[in-house]
Amino acid sequence: MFSSLDVSTSGLVAQRARLNAISSNIANMSTTRNERGEPEPYRPRYVTFQTDTDLTTPGGGAGVEIGSVRYSNEPPRMKYEPGHPDADERGYVHYPAVDMTTEFVDALEATRAYEANIGVIEVTKNLSEQTLRIVA
Amino acid sequence: MEVAMLSTLFRSSTIPVLERVVNFTEARHGVLAGNIANLDTPGYRTRDLSPTLFQERLKEAIEVRHRPALPAYPTYDEPMAGSAGRGGDRELEVFRKVDDSMKSILYHDDSDVSLERQVNEIVKNQQQHNLAITIMASQFRLLRAAITERVA
Repeated sequence: MFSSLDVSTSGLVAQRARLNAISSNIANMSTTRNERGEPEPYRPRYVTFQTDTDLTTPGGGAGVEIGSVRYSNEPPRMKYEPGHPDADERGYVHYPAVDMTTEFVDALEATRAYEANIGVIEVTKNLSEQTLRIVA
Repeated sequence: MEVAMLSTLFRSSTIPVLERVVNFTEARHGVLAGNIANLDTPGYRTRDLSPTLFQERLKEAIEVRHRPALPAYPTYDEPMAGSAGRGGDRELEVFRKVDDSMKSILYHDDSDVSLERQVNEIVKNQQQHNLAITIMASQFRLLRAAITERVA
């Protein structure tokens, strides 16, 4: 009974991590320098999930965990801005390859997945409350 | 005299055991609430009372109570420790041991509180509490039915 709650919680944690990565990507969509201040465009991060074999239910269900955080290898967006301090010798500034549409669709999907997990938790709680009605 | 009779009456039921469960879940709820309160405290590490350890010790205590060799039941006020010798060492462990399921990402502010996991533990704890309370209520209903000689 309790393990299905744990499985749903692992889903919540995973989807929140994904949302964190998405908000980081959107926040850094114009970042042209790395953390040391050198001109290097921000590389978008994507969270990948994997099945958590430590967290299983008797019915064969399994939890989810964060597998890895991938860094995008897409070439940066080039923008001609000769006056920019981070422009290269040809006058182009390298902007991160963040696609707003993709990010927002991902954010929407993560939010819906989060809600779905909350829904399952509600059902599980309801189930155990119904079981208590046998005793009461 | 009356008090003695009442305590035998309660002891013959599962009410003392359920009372321990309720005490434990209430104490654990306090600890978990503290974790949520410290959600943004830098350097805060989650605390927990181990339900498995509690269940083990409760089981030991019940076994001791039901052992026929014992001259009398342990009194109501006695701590329900399995054996006096290692009880002290175990007592210390209770606070230190945090469930593996609770271990999560260490954030940059050196804290490791995950809201989802904490709420999950609170819900599970609450369900255990409700279960004990519900069974306790039906035990009392049975007693009342016996006293009043009619089904409530």
